[in-house]
Amino acid sequence: MIGYILRRLLQSVAVVIVVTIIVFLLLQALPGGAAHAILGPRATPAQIATFNEQNGLNQPLILQYFHDLGNWVTGNFGFSYKLNQSVSSLLWERLPKTLILSGLALLLTVIVAIPIGIIQAVRRNRTFDYIATALSFIFYAAPTFFIGLVLIDWFSQKLPWFPPEAPQSDGIIPIFQDFDAMVLPIVTLALLSIAGFSRYMRSSVLDNVNQDYVRTARAKGASETRILTRHVLRNALIPIITLLGLSLPALFAGALITESIFNFPGMGLLFWNAAQQSDYPIELGVVIITAFATVIGNLIADVSLAAIDPRVQL
Amino acid sequence: MPLLEIRGLSTDIRLSRSTVHALDEVSLTVEAGETLGLVGESGSGKTMTALSIERLLPSGGDIVGGEIWFDGVDLAAASEQSMRSIRGGDIGMIFQDPMTSLNPVQTIGEQVGEPLVLHRGMSGSAVHTAVRDMFELVGLPSTERSLNTYPHQMSGGQRQRVMIAMALICEPKLLIADEPTTALDVTVQKQILELIDRLRVERNMAMILVTHDLGVIAGRADRVSVMYAGKIAEMASTTTLFAWPRHRYTEALFEALPERAAGTGMELYSIPGLPPDLVSPPPACRFAPRCRFAIDRCRTIVPDMEAVPDDSLTEPGSVQEFACFVPCTGPLLSADELVARHELDARPVDVADRAWVAPTTEVPEDGVTLLRTEDLVKDFPVTAGAITRRRVGAISAVAGVSISIGRGQTLGLVGESGCGKTTLGRLVVGLEKPSSGSVLFRGRRVQMLRGAEAREGRRNIQFMFQDSYASLDPRMRVRSVLREPLEIQHVGNSRDRNKRVDELLDAVGLPRSAAERYPHEFSGGQRQRIGLARALALQPALIVADEPVSALDVSIQAQVLNLMKELQRDRELAYLFISHDLSVVRYLSDMIAVMYLGKLVEIGPAADVYARPQHHYTRGLIDTIPIADPAAERAKARLGVRGELPSAMNPPSGCRFRTRCPAAQEICARIEPPLQVGGGGIRPHPLPTSSGPASHLVACHFPLNTEAVVHKTGRKGS
Repeated sequence: MIGYILRRLLQSVAVVIVVTIIVFLLLQALPGGAAHAILGPRATPAQIATFNEQNGLNQPLILQYFHDLGNWVTGNFGFSYKLNQSVSSLLWERLPKTLILSGLALLLTVIVAIPIGIIQAVRRNRTFDYIATALSFIFYAAPTFFIGLVLIDWFSQKLPWFPPEAPQSDGIIPIFQDFDAMVLPIVTLALLSIAGFSRYMRSSVLDNVNQDYVRTARAKGASETRILTRHVLRNALIPIITLLGLSLPALFAGALITESIFNFPGMGLLFWNAAQQSDYPIELGVVIITAFATVIGNLIADVSLAAIDPRVQL
Repeated sequence: MPLLEIRGLSTDIRLSRSTVHALDEVSLTVEAGETLGLVGESGSGKTMTALSIERLLPSGGDIVGGEIWFDGVDLAAASEQSMRSIRGGDIGMIFQDPMTSLNPVQTIGEQVGEPLVLHRGMSGSAVHTAVRDMFELVGLPSTERSLNTYPHQMSGGQRQRVMIAMALICEPKLLIADEPTTALDVTVQKQILELIDRLRVERNMAMILVTHDLGVIAGRADRVSVMYAGKIAEMASTTTLFAWPRHRYTEALFEALPERAAGTGMELYSIPGLPPDLVSPPPACRFAPRCRFAIDRCRTIVPDMEAVPDDSLTEPGSVQEFACFVPCTGPLLSADELVARHELDARPVDVADRAWVAPTTEVPEDGVTLLRTEDLVKDFPVTAGAITRRRVGAISAVAGVSISIGRGQTLGLVGESGCGKTTLGRLVVGLEKPSSGSVLFRGRRVQMLRGAEAREGRRNIQFMFQDSYASLDPRMRVRSVLREPLEIQHVGNSRDRNKRVDELLDAVGLPRSAAERYPHEFSGGQRQRIGLARALALQPALIVADEPVSALDVSIQAQVLNLMKELQRDRELAYLFISHDLSVVRYLSDMIAVMYLGKLVEIGPAADVYARPQHHYTRGLIDTIPIADPAAERAKARLGVRGELPSAMNPPSGCRFRTRCPAAQEICARIEPPLQVGGGGIRPHPLPTSSGPASHLVACHFPLNTEAVVHKTGRKGS
């Protein structure tokens, strides 16, 4: 088990290194290069040459890469000239907020979607199932920005229940003190995944209630409730666990659209603004963090799968 | 009063567009402590009857009429609450497939103990103790640790033991066993049936044994009910039913069994057509459309149950009941009598009925052996580790097998699952590459052929799969399925190919219109005909048939076997016929080869191997396989192969069968016995084996009948 995790972590490092190479090369391919982006369009060739000289940008690519890689390993992702702040301090500031928003949305998803899916499967082709199915199709199909705007219009403008903007404070504690403002962003973010996960759960439970082992349990005299809680649930959760694990990277990367609608200062908004202003060091940092989150998410999914399903051996 | 009495039970299954009348006026009784066999083909309603008793019908299923009296309660009218207390309490149930019938994420201890929690209100260590006692009883390790085992960590036989423990832990009065051994290997099947029987007698429990296998019924049931198309056709004591069935359906079932015709060279009787669709069953006798003896009355009036005295039961008033207007007038014929009758009306094979007689293979008849394998070895590496995938061992699937098949001959390959027979078949076709040794087709190594020659070579050996459904592309029409091999091999132009498709459908007895339909529109037997047609498309000289009939019902199986035999006669086809069912192999084969754990242990002429097996494993297999004869079944009750197949990863040293062999001695572990005439150890001057391809070889230090042979030669000497 521990050996397996260590091996997987080693694999993760390899994956992340490949990602950094790709990102590094992509950034090199950008028109004008880093100097141009930082010094602005009116920089003279002499200024650019000086800048390149100072920052080692005239060295061979491979040396530049290893130089950068060394920096990344020590947590130094460069300096954002646009925001006049080091990228790592920006990430440290934004990451916890994004984790709170996405994490709470994921929690809400699990709490709501799994019971809905189970009820739908148990009462399939009845009124509740039809309504839930219709709603999940609507939320799955509707663009996030549309849902977000509708929620703001209804629950902030027409009914003044929640503020339309997310908390703007710097720390984490103030976010919880101003939790009213978090409700709409969390709900917006969760609705889409609730729609998806309730469908997965419904079909997973349906797959299981027709299995032979359920008939066996019935032949033992178990009640329907017991069959559901003792036998079906654990089996039905197996595929869901994997899907949840795969959705972890989104937790780190942040929700680009939701964060910009509610002006929530998380990773998504950071990335969005950086992309618009060609702030390459920030983009690079966010991509590396996301790559890392992806491999870790996969690892967590696999480990929890082994915990719930005895057939899976690590 | 009987323990269970079903009166006029009718069950419907509502589908989205139609209603299947799965059971129609079924009546039967089970006395306390007796075993009732419920036999029939798929769709006959035998499982539906079992599920109706427990009210465990699939969704859409409902009891629409009749009563089920069990122990003074009408189960058809009982509340769900009281049903729950009966299920797993007074009625225990065992299902067909122990793998899918157990919860994969719960320990077996938890699952076996659950009925105690539900019905006896027990908990904690009391449950543990009871479960361990039960494990002891069903022959499972009864340590605390084995309670924490998961189903996937056990073998199929052990899993079925878990199912039995679970069904019996609350000491039910009635046990319903629904095809309890169909998913298991023959050697395991016998041990499971014995276990169930022993526990049944010890606990004086009644049992309903649901099965399609007349052999299983013959050895285990006191009385038998034969079902057909949702109705009971006939009911009698086992001895009476097997000696003198009255209903024409029962008779036809017996005549379709390959073991009765084996060795006679006769065609099997095959019931024409298919079982009726129960959405709109035939109005009168349901068997009438397929019955040889049907008269007008059979098609207009529903036959009532008639009763004649049943002599073989000691109880007074026992009757044999049947619903047939034209019952059999005499007992079943024995195999010898069958041959005599066959010669009497010596009906020539109805070649005239077929529109087309196939051209023979393109392989010239020049005396070169069609197919030979030489010391064929296949190891599958076992790897471990996520990154390095280092090799930690090998599964020895095929270990030095040499066989040969002549033109127009059938070699039957038998053995338990896991013995390597399928791998050998795949090696012969070229679907696997041998680790060493070679496959020679007409003297040329198949692996050495390249390019066009290799493609040409593949035409000559074709494969017929076990699962006809999974092996046909569901989105291809039958025409495309049959044309594909011709296209790959660039045979003829488009018109020629379509003509060949028509010919192939004629040859396998399907209408030409079948070409425009999809595989799912056909029944299992018809699909297997399509599989055969596809294998025939390129006019091969050899067809490797991997369990081609094991998924089919007896009557359909007979149709396919007859067809295979007929095509062989027409085309001088050779078959490598792989099956676990010795009686089917015996019926079809000229030679029988027996494999055990990758090794060929015995090979010889079919009749000889079957009648005078020399290897203990062959003998055990023959004794283990249930045959439809109550007397024979009881006579060999105590015989057969014991235990389970060891792992092929570290096969036993010396003779691989020694761990299960009754005659094993110390030498068997040290020296691997060579495959030779008469068996025995390694001889300094081996006997000449060039006594033709039909010699009977065995790999055993202590072959059966050795003494007899010694005795005879000794007498000759003196």
